[in-house]
Parts: sequence; structure tokens; C-alpha cells
Amino acid sequence: MKQVGFYGFTALGLLLFPFAIHPIGGYPGLATEILIVGIAAIGFNLLLGYAGLLSYGQAMFYGVGSYMALLTVQRFFPQWPSIWLSLLVAIVFVTVMALVIGLLTVRLYGIYFALLTLAFAQMFYFIVFQWKSLTRGDDGLQVITNATLQLGFTSIDLTRTFPDFELGPFGNLHDVHYWYAFAAIITLVVLAFMRALIRSQFGEILAAIRENEERSTFVGFDPLRYKVAAFTIAGMLTGLSGGLKGLYEASTGVDTLSIDMSGSFVIFAVVGGIKTLFGPLVGTGLIMYLQNVVSGNPVFGNGWRLIEGLIFVAVIVFLPGGLLGSFKKKRAHAALANAVRVSPVEGRP
Amino acid sequence: MPGQLLDGFIRGLLYVAIALGLTIVFGMLRLVNFAHGAFYIIGAYVGLVVTEHVGLLAGIIAAPIAVALFAIAFDFALLRRFYDKEPTAQILVTFGVAIVVEETLRLIFTGTTRTYVVPAWVQGSLNLGFTQYPTYRIAFGLGVIVLVIAVWLFIQRTNYGLIVRAGVRDRTMVQLLGGNVRQASTVIFALGAALAGLVGAAASPIYSIDPGKGFEFLVPSFVVVVIGGLGSFWGAVLGGLLVGELQSLTTLFLPAASDLVIYVAMALVLLVKPSGLFGESEVIRG
Repeated sequence: MKQVGFYGFTALGLLLFPFAIHPIGGYPGLATEILIVGIAAIGFNLLLGYAGLLSYGQAMFYGVGSYMALLTVQRFFPQWPSIWLSLLVAIVFVTVMALVIGLLTVRLYGIYFALLTLAFAQMFYFIVFQWKSLTRGDDGLQVITNATLQLGFTSIDLTRTFPDFELGPFGNLHDVHYWYAFAAIITLVVLAFMRALIRSQFGEILAAIRENEERSTFVGFDPLRYKVAAFTIAGMLTGLSGGLKGLYEASTGVDTLSIDMSGSFVIFAVVGGIKTLFGPLVGTGLIMYLQNVVSGNPVFGNGWRLIEGLIFVAVIVFLPGGLLGSFKKKRAHAALANAVRVSPVEGRP
Repeated sequence: MPGQLLDGFIRGLLYVAIALGLTIVFGMLRLVNFAHGAFYIIGAYVGLVVTEHVGLLAGIIAAPIAVALFAIAFDFALLRRFYDKEPTAQILVTFGVAIVVEETLRLIFTGTTRTYVVPAWVQGSLNLGFTQYPTYRIAFGLGVIVLVIAVWLFIQRTNYGLIVRAGVRDRTMVQLLGGNVRQASTVIFALGAALAGLVGAAASPIYSIDPGKGFEFLVPSFVVVVIGGLGSFWGAVLGGLLVGELQSLTTLFLPAASDLVIYVAMALVLLVKPSGLFGESEVIRG
């Protein structure tokens, strides 16, 4: 029943999302971008929220993912323009990269881990920046992708839009590209995967390691293996996110690997709420939506990042659990209060 | 070639001056301060405004005072809530404040690159025998060397310095012995900030000013303190000079790798000896 509730609730939310943001100044394309970037934030949450690892270099997976997906179309396999193939190449490459970097980095703790991931991200940034023959350096890649989505016998051009259908204040169905549907389905799969992962034994052991690494070692778990696994999975999701970004925009640039981008993933996840399933997605949506609305405003146009910073600081200080996390905590408190109230009836202290 | 080496040395001294504040704050507060670059850039803009209205010396004096006051306010208003939290929470709050500062400055001063003119007595260049070199850069270099010695004397010779040195080793014990660690923490935090502000004002005629400069210099300063050892005084000094020369020499021989190389060095140090070349190994699990 709960399973059905989760899928129903999430699917409904994803279905309504591109129309719900229309009356408040958003547009369906923004919804697509939010979902794509949100997948990386969801992956980051596995690190900071569940494994307690503050990675300050997630942009390296995001950026490399976007480059790999586009290079697959442009350079590696131009004869097979396929979204699946591009995503596969991006994911496989980034996953291996995350595994290797994870093996090297997770031995360190706290700030040392954060600084080492930052160092690796900077290395990849400058490699991509300087490898001009492949990446075109500062100019970035603009690829005319004719990549389509193969589904059995047919193939779908994701840049097409849905048929014309007026929805009043919620815009027009015609404004929504197939890309949104594709991103939404992937987001649903990613959320289901994360939900299963967190509830699995793996998720519990990860939480145990975060709370008390020494004790979890005594009980017989090798913390390093679990942390490497978490780092690799987070990298994989970030690579998927980057690959989607590249294919969706048909372009990418070295900015995708910047420290600012790494910082953005931190902000998105923390604002929405780490240790919650939907928090990172909500945080990504909120910040990217505000960025879009504010930067379109002639008065505050330049100030959107100030607003982002202010929200971030306010959340850290006043809502340490993030928007969703604090809400969850209140519910947990209420549940606890209830439990205490009813317990004498059952004869327990 | 000697000019390149000297450029590297001066840039190294800039890193030293920024990293010094970073490392003493880490030593005392166990805090990796992502807002340290924000202190630098506040100092730079205060220096800019005061220099334009009064003069360069006034600017260089006003900047560290203004930044120290800002740091004390920041400490009282926000940072104190995070003293006892895990290090990741401290990174997040300083990172947030860094964004707010940078963007506020961008709103006030716009994003255009600014610089200010230095007075006549430090314009021009000096003949050093092997090369002609801008006078202001030489003055800046000498100033940083004096600064390093002054900070070292402060830590070695004053009561605050004593609490700092002891606090680095064992905070709780210092508190038990009656040392006011909390107050000393604020003083050190303000001192570290003032150093960054001072450098911000003094270095801007050389490296120009824009709101992103703080973060731009902060990241190499992380490299410096990591290589030297987080919390290590002389580590920051030698690390800074090393990173400056490393960048300068690779710019000369292998320009494509000049940015890459320092991060490779940083990663290698963290992988092989996370406590840095001059740090104490006990701090790693902090």
C-alpha cells in the first residue's frame, strides 16, 4: 500500500509539475532542467545525508558526464546517434571515475575529504579546460544532436512537443517537450532506486557508519567498502544528470565542472533537506525557480545569487534539517508525543 | 627567468599572507573558513573606497579594521552556534556567508574589474641588478615578510598567543586551566580576518579587484595550507612560497599545466600525508 502511495504521489507530482509552475512564472523547460539537475542533488544526498561525506567536487562527475554524452554523438559514435548510447557511455565512464576517486578519497574524514574532492574536481576542471582538441576549452561544446530515443521499433525525437491543448492558467500542453516526459520517468526511477537503497540493509549500515564508524567496524562491517559504494553510486547519478543536461541542451561548457557548480549541488540538497528522499529535488526546484524568476526581474536581476546565499544561510541556521527535513522532524516529534501519551495504556513505560 | 622567479615569489607571498589567517584560524577553531576569501575581498573594496577618497596608506589601515569588525559580528551572530557542530556544518555556514558577501559586493560595486592608482613614491620600478622590478611589488613583498614576523611574534610572545598555541594542542585542557578559549577564538578569528583584509587592500593594486577575486584566491590558499599542513604556521609560509613558484615555473615551461599542477600537488599531499608537510599527524580525524 505504502509502495503504491509513493509511486502514485510521485508520478502525480511529476505529471502536474510543468503545468503547476506556469502560473507562478515558470515554464515547462525549466521543469525539465530542474529534474535533470535534481538527479545530481539526489545523488549528492546519498553522500552528505546518508554517508555523512561532504564532497566538494560533485561537479566533476556532472561536467564529465555532460561532455562524455555529447562527445559520444559528436566524436566516438557519430554513426549511432542514440540517447541511450550517449547516456550509457557517460554513466559507465563517470561510474568508473567515481569508483577510482572514491577508493582514493573516502579514507579521509570531514574537511580533509572535502578538500581532497575539491582538489580532484579542480584537476578535472583544468584538464577539460586545457584539452582543447577534444573539449574546445573555454568555448564549450555545441553539438547538433540528431540523437533520438530508440524504443523497440520506433524512435522518438525528444525535442518534439505534445499536441496543442489549452489548459487555461496552466499554459498549454503544446509547451511541453517529450524531453520532460523522459526526464520525469528517469527521475521517478531514480527516486524509487534511492528509496529502495536507503531502506535496504546497505542504507542502514551506511547510517550506522555515519553515526559511529568505530562501532560499525566492531560489529564487523568494513566502512570503507560502504563509503566507496555510496561515493560511486552518487557519482553515477551525477554522471547521469550531467549526460542528460548535455543532451537536453545540446551543449555544455567548462562551467559544469566549476567549484560554483559543486557548491550549487551542496546548496540544493541542504536547502531542500538532506536525509530526506524528496528534499534535494525540492531544494533544486526552489533555487532554480527563484533564479529564473528573479533574474528575469529588471530590479533584482543581478541579485538572484545573493538571494540563493541568504536562503542557504537562513536554512543552515534556522532549519538545519532543510525545508523537508524540519517538517519531517516536527512530524516525528508529534508521533513521539503521541507514542508517549498512549504508552501507559499498553503498560509500557 | 629571474623576473619569473620573482613574480612567483611575490605571488607566493600573497598566498602566504592569505593562508596565514586561514591556518591560524584552523589551528585555534578547527574551522576551515570558506569565508576567508570574502574577508580578502571586503578588505579590497574598503581599501579601494578609502584610497580613492583619502589615500593608499589610509586604505591599507582601514581595510583590516573594517574586516576585523565584520568578522567579530559574523562570529557573534552566526559562527558561535556552530563551534560545537561537526566540521561539515561549519564549512557550509562559512560557504553561505562567502556567497552573501560576494554577491552583496557585486550589487554595490557591480562586477567590473577595478584597480586603484598607487602614490608616486611606489610607482615606477627599481633596478635590482639582475632585473628591473615594479617598486610597489617589492614594497608589497617586504610588507608581507614583516607581517609574517609580526604574527609569529604575536603567537610566540603574547598571552593570546599562548592560549592559541595551547588551544591547538588541547582545547579542553586550556579551558580547564582557566584560559578563555572562547574569547581567544574570537580574537584569533578577527585577527585572521584582519590579515585577509589587509592583504586584500595591499594586493589589489597588483592583482586588481572584482567580487569573484576572494574565492579565486581562496582556492589556491587551500592548496597552500593543505600542502603546508592545516594549522601549521611555517607550513603556510613555505607552502605559499612553494605554490607561488610552482605556478610561476610551470607557466614558464608548461603553461597548459600551470593551474593543474598545484591541485595535483594538493591531492598527492592529502593522499600520502594528509597532515601536510609540516603539520602534526594527530589532527587528521578532527
